[in-house]
This record gives sequence, C-alpha cells and structure tokens, in this order.
Amino acid sequence: MILLRLKSLNKTFNHFCALTDIDFSVGEGEIVGLVGPNGAGKTTLFNLISGRYKPSSGNILFKDIDITHLKPHAICRLGISRTFQSSRPFPGMSVLQNVMVGHVFGKRSSLHSRPENKQAAKELLDIVGIAHKADAPAGRLTLSEQRRLDLARALATRPKLLLLDEVAAGFSPVLVKQAVELINRVRKRGVTLLIIDHFLNLSLKVSDRLLALDHGEKIAEGPPHVVMRNPEVLRAYLGLRHESERD
Amino acid sequence: MENDKKTMNFLTAKNRLNKSKTHWIGLFLGFMLFFALPLLVQSNHYILQVFTHALLLAALALAWDLLGASGSISLGHAAFFGAGAYASALLGLDLGLSPWATIPLAGLIATGLGLIMGLICLRLRGAYFALATLAFVEIPWVITDNWDSLTRGSLGLVGISGLPSIRIHGFHVDFGSSIVVSYYLIFAYFMILLGLVAFVHQSNIGLALQAIREEEIAAEAVGIHVNGYRLLSLLMSAFFTGVCGACYAHLVRYIEPGLVYGLHFSAVPMIFAICGGRLTILGPAVAAMVLYPMDQFVFHPLLPAGHEFLYGAVLILAMLFMPNGFWGRLRNAS
Amino acid sequence: MWSMIFVSSLSLGSFYTLVALGFALIFGVTRNFNLAHGELVVLAGYVSYWLWKMWAFPFILTFPAAVLVSLVICLGLERLFARLHEPLALNSIVLSFGVAVVIQNSMLFLFSGNYRLIRIPVLSRGFHLPGLYISYTQITLLGSSLIILFLLYMLMYRTYLGKAMRATIQDKDAAAMAGINVSAMGTLAFCIGALLIGLAGPLYGCIHYLYPSSGQEATLVAVTITIFAGVGRLSGIILAGWILGLAESFTVVFFGVSWREMVSAVLLLALLYFRPHGILGHGER
Repeated sequence: MILLRLKSLNKTFNHFCALTDIDFSVGEGEIVGLVGPNGAGKTTLFNLISGRYKPSSGNILFKDIDITHLKPHAICRLGISRTFQSSRPFPGMSVLQNVMVGHVFGKRSSLHSRPENKQAAKELLDIVGIAHKADAPAGRLTLSEQRRLDLARALATRPKLLLLDEVAAGFSPVLVKQAVELINRVRKRGVTLLIIDHFLNLSLKVSDRLLALDHGEKIAEGPPHVVMRNPEVLRAYLGLRHESERD
Repeated sequence: MENDKKTMNFLTAKNRLNKSKTHWIGLFLGFMLFFALPLLVQSNHYILQVFTHALLLAALALAWDLLGASGSISLGHAAFFGAGAYASALLGLDLGLSPWATIPLAGLIATGLGLIMGLICLRLRGAYFALATLAFVEIPWVITDNWDSLTRGSLGLVGISGLPSIRIHGFHVDFGSSIVVSYYLIFAYFMILLGLVAFVHQSNIGLALQAIREEEIAAEAVGIHVNGYRLLSLLMSAFFTGVCGACYAHLVRYIEPGLVYGLHFSAVPMIFAICGGRLTILGPAVAAMVLYPMDQFVFHPLLPAGHEFLYGAVLILAMLFMPNGFWGRLRNAS
Repeated sequence: MWSMIFVSSLSLGSFYTLVALGFALIFGVTRNFNLAHGELVVLAGYVSYWLWKMWAFPFILTFPAAVLVSLVICLGLERLFARLHEPLALNSIVLSFGVAVVIQNSMLFLFSGNYRLIRIPVLSRGFHLPGLYISYTQITLLGSSLIILFLLYMLMYRTYLGKAMRATIQDKDAAAMAGINVSAMGTLAFCIGALLIGLAGPLYGCIHYLYPSSGQEATLVAVTITIFAGVGRLSGIILAGWILGLAESFTVVFFGVSWREMVSAVLLLALLYFRPHGILGHGER
C-alpha cells in the first residue's frame, strides 16, 4: 500500500528551480534513502512534505489525503514527523519535556494525563539511548545527543511516516552502527522512514530503496545496489558536473 | 540566546516552587503583607493610593507578559488599555450600565481590538512585530480623538462613576467610597490574574508558548498550531489589559486620549516585565511593586518634572546587564 | 488647490526624507533600530530653540550646537548598542525605547512641557506665483533637504568611504572579509546619522510644535520611510518621503488635520502586512 505519493512536484525560489517534476511514492513499511550531492534538493523536498514550504506546483498525497496545502502542524497530526538537519531542540526545556511536547501536541487525540505522557517520553528516551539525560536542559546536549533527542521528539508524535534529515552525518563508524540499530528499532514500531543521507553511510545499510536527486531532478530510483551503479548517480557524486553552490 | 538557554523554564520553575518551601513561604508573606497593608499604613490615603496603582500596574504587567510568553514584544498595549478605559467609561456614562457590567465588556472590546491587531501583526516576528504594535496604537488613539460625538474627542471624559457598591444580604460594601475598598478590589483582581497566569504557564498552553518562543520551526513540526497559540496569547493579553484600563478609568474617574493611549501605558508594562524577567511568572509583578512606589515616593518628590526617566534608566540597565530580569537572575543564581 | 497640495507635499516629503535618513543609515549599517530617533530630532530642535530664544543666536548658528549635542548622544548610544546580544534588531528596539523614555523625561525636566515653536519672521513670508502661494519655509525645507541629500549622495556614491559603507549595508560579513573595518563603519554611520539629526531638528522646530513627547511622531515617520524604501537605496528613501508627504497633505485637506497622525501608522502597518519579512525581504528558504 502506498503511504506517500508525490505528483510532479515543483519548487522554485525566485526563478531558481530547486525541484523539478518529482514523481515518487513511498510504500507503507518501507525505508527509503534520499541521496544526492549538496544542493540536490533533498532538504527542500522534506520541507515540502512537512508543509514548511508550499510547492510551486504539483501535489503531495498522504494516505490518499491531499496534504499539499496543509500547515505543518496539521501534517504532523496526520502522521508525518521530521527531524532537522541541524537539530532544533527547545533549549530551555529539559530533555524529557522536549519529548513530552511531541506527545502532547503531536496528535489531536493525545490529551493523556501528565504521568502517562511522562512514562511514554521516558520509554522513547530509552530507545534513543539518552534516558540518563532526561532532566538535563536540552540546550546543553552534545550534537549527537541533540540528534537523538530530535528523533525521540519526532517519534513522540506517533508518526506513520518519519522524515530523517542527515541523522548520521559526521558520525563515527561506532555511532553509525548504533544509528542502524536505532532505525531498525523504529521500523519495528511500524514506522515508514524516508532518510536523507548525503554521505551514504547509513542508507546503503538500511534502505529498501533509494531515490537519487541531482540539481532538483530525480536521476534514479530503485534498490540501493542498482542505484549506486547508475552512471548518472556516479557522475553526480564524483562531481563530473559542476556542483552548484546551493545547499 | 545563551542566557535563554540557561534560563529554566516555567515548568521547572513550578517544580522548584513545589520543591522549595521557601518560595511558598515568601509568596505567603508577600500576600499577607499586601493584605494587611491598609492596617499597617493606617489607611493613609496617599500611600494606599500609590499601592492601589502599583497593584493595577502589576496586573497590567502580568497581562502584557501573557503575550510576552509567546516570544513577542508589544510596544502598543496602550491600545488595549485605552480602549478598555474608554469602553467602560462610555458604557457607564451613555448607557448607565454598572461598572460590574462595563468592566468585563471593556475587556471584550479590547479583545476585539486584539483580534484586529492579531490579523495584521501575527504574520510578523520579533522586531517587525514590535514596530507594528508601536504603529497600531495610533489607530484607536486618533479615532478616539476624532470621534467627537461618541468620545468627546480630545477633551476627555469627566464624571466617570467610581467603583460601585454591592449589597449582599444587607451587608453593604461601597467600593468607590474609600480607597481601602478600592485597594482590596484591585488586589483581588491582581490575585485572580496572578493565579490565572500561573495556571496558563503550567498548562499545555504554556508549554506550547514556550516551544514557540524557543524554536518556532520545531514547534510547528511537532504539531503545535503556532499562530493559533500566538493569537490566543494576544487575545488573553488584550482582554486583561482592557480590564486594567477599565479599572483605571473608574479609579481615576477622568480620562483623555493622551492619558490612556499615550506612551506611558505601552512602556510601563513592558518595562516592568523585562526588568522583572519576562520568562517568569512573578517577575513582572514584583518589578511593578518595587519600581512604581519607588517612582512615586522617591523620584516624584525629587523631580516633579521628568521623574519617569527612572523607567527608561532601569530598562536600559536591565537590557545591558540582566537580560533575564532581576527575578530571572535571582532564580538562576539560586 | 492641487498645485498647493503638490508644493506642500513636496517640501514636507523632502523634509521627511531628511528626518528618516539618519535612522535609515544607522539601521542599514548596524542593523540597530533606534527608536529614540524622533526624541533626538526634537532634542536638537529644543537646543536650537533655546539658543535662538534665550541667547538670541541667529537661527543659522544654532545648527552646529544642535549637531554637537546629537553627536555626543549618538556616540553614547552607539556604545550602548554595541553591548547588546542577539536578536540585535529586537533588543535594539527595546533598549532605544528606554533611551527614548529617558530623553523625553530629560526634556520635560529641562524645557518643561510647554509647546514651543521656532518662529523666524522671514520664513513665515512667501511669494505668489500664478495660482500658487509658496512660503519661504517650504523653500527652506525643500532646498536644505535636497542639498543635504545631494551631499550624502556624493559621499555614498562618489567616495571610497561611501563605497565601503554601502558594502557594509549590503553584507556585513562579506564586507568584513574584504577588509572593511565594519565597526568603524558603524561608528561613522552613527556620526553621519547624528549630523543629519542635528540638521533636521532645528528645521523640525520651525514647522512643528516642540514638546517632550512629540518625538514619537518623527520616529514613526522615520520607521515608515525606512521600511518602505528598504536599506541601501537613497532614491527609495526620497520616493518614500514624497509619498508620505503626499499622503499626509491629502489627508489634511480631505479629512482634517487631526487625522494626519494616523497616516504614517496606517502606511507602516500596510507595508508590514504586505511585506511580513520586513525590509530585508528574506522570503522562503
């Protein structure tokens, strides 16, 4: 069953085409890696799906509902959650409270009692492995802890589809291994994942499929080993074309 | 920003309050002090009058900070204050309604004005929001100034009824007759507002406002209706500011456009909130209780013209040395 | 009548441009909103009034004194602004709001709350053209504003220093990387801003009553024009000044003088409503 469907999606910023004619679908339960060089339009695509930007043309369907013109909070409540390339914790709240915000506001029907929320938030912190920091102010976490917190907060909204933006960028092999385990644990909870992975250190290990973008266009999609052999993808990654300066 | 990060949030502040008995004892002592004040000063008219106004300004600062909690700084709250004052006075003068009815109605009218401000300004952030509110005051002000047939224009309104009396089972309290009773009425309003603000801060609304204030993009991404909550905080703030304005009109019994729409009532609540700590519950109120009596008892006699430079000076000092306000600083230190 | 409206809005608009220039320049270079701008203009007006009235200075000689006073205060203000944390624009608004309150109350203390006007006999006269009466006040406003604008234009577009300033206005970081001393540019902007304020103040006192809280109006005018024009374009500021002058003249003629104060406020709100991202206009992305 198809969970997310992108129909000829376009996005231009002041006459500059960030995305051109993207057609793509994500099936329920899949893990899809979104790869491509800097400026390929990966994060822009996330911003469109999560409703932060509106597409210039085209449609986004989620569970067959047209979410193209919905606001970010409404999209989140329908079941799409995201993390950010550079984490955005609420710095003045404790780690636990950050996650609880996701519980409280992530779903319309989620007005649990405070203790229940707290318990659920603690479990999520345990899953991402920062339970011991529950009472620390979120602003004081390390970069890797902040990414985990971002993930826990996104999971707290109980998404059907989770958009992960560069969760493992700059991670050491040990941390990448942990991240792979984490993603498999998330998948077991019945969450579909779309993962941006510029450095390919994660998506090759966990993805069922890859979607490769370059200069805002889809250049390949399919199983990882096929996509990675695609000459267009190789060319994009080896920089034989001029890399644009955008990010 | 760095300091924001260091600031503990409302929820932890509340937890701390629960944990440390000293806070509750301090709060209780403060309450008793203000409750017993008329006895302590032996109903000295002037002192009580100053503290009645101090309480009203403290309530005004609390109301301002309901919007401040969403991260927006308003330089135009005199719009709501003036509208509330005029609405209550005119409803009383022209329709003969009792202040018990006109004060809440004035709050609603101010809320309506808040809705208009929200429609124009909520798409703005930070500095531009502040500039827009600064410009916004001019609109109700100039309209009040020019709508002579309704508002008597720039002449102002005289003969506004005082705070009224109530009778319960033959027990008669006349709120307008003595400053003591007015004092208790404003004190009661202040306490109610304080309780309400504390409730809002520890409710989900407070949590949403804090999230919006600290990281708006993440807030909307986890399902918080950002502009909905910002509008809610603006409307609550406008309502209680309007009520403050209405109380002011019945307390002073004379108003004119320049008095209630002027810079003073925009500046003062903001200054109290920022000096006291706009991320705290009590800070704005404490600042009002300290600064206004200081202004009236010390600076006014020394410098009859220009005594209000005090407010500007403390604001400058707070911006430079205590971005979290003295209450916030106190709490960080403890 | 139309030609009268045209002349008065042209002279008023040019003068508004002069009032706004200092504000716009300081904002452009340092990204600080100086809400005490109007208060400084009024203070400069008071200095001029006081010297002219009490000490019988020739009006023209009061300008250097007004410039000197505003220069001293602006340099102090610059030191204050330099200590602010991010978000700079918002914090500068709050800080300068405090400064405005202090200046207002100082003026109340020094000059009392009475309404003052600088009445120069020569300026209140005028001459007739076919179907048109032009006062010397209008000529003075128009002439002095245009001369100052021209000089500023020469400075900004014909000198190396001006080039460096414009570079700083466009992109502070890039300018710093190109070897421009950005903080010196900030100080310079405050100095030129103070000069402009000192020149505008006495003229302001000729056409407006001076009283301690009258500066708010000038601040609003400056903010409106700056937002309208965006930073870094002198021509935009002139255009914005004329449009505001025109809008005010029309309002006065058709609705009455008491509605004039609302014009700049409504214009500013409309501008912000349609350009919610403000002057710099960063939209999406």
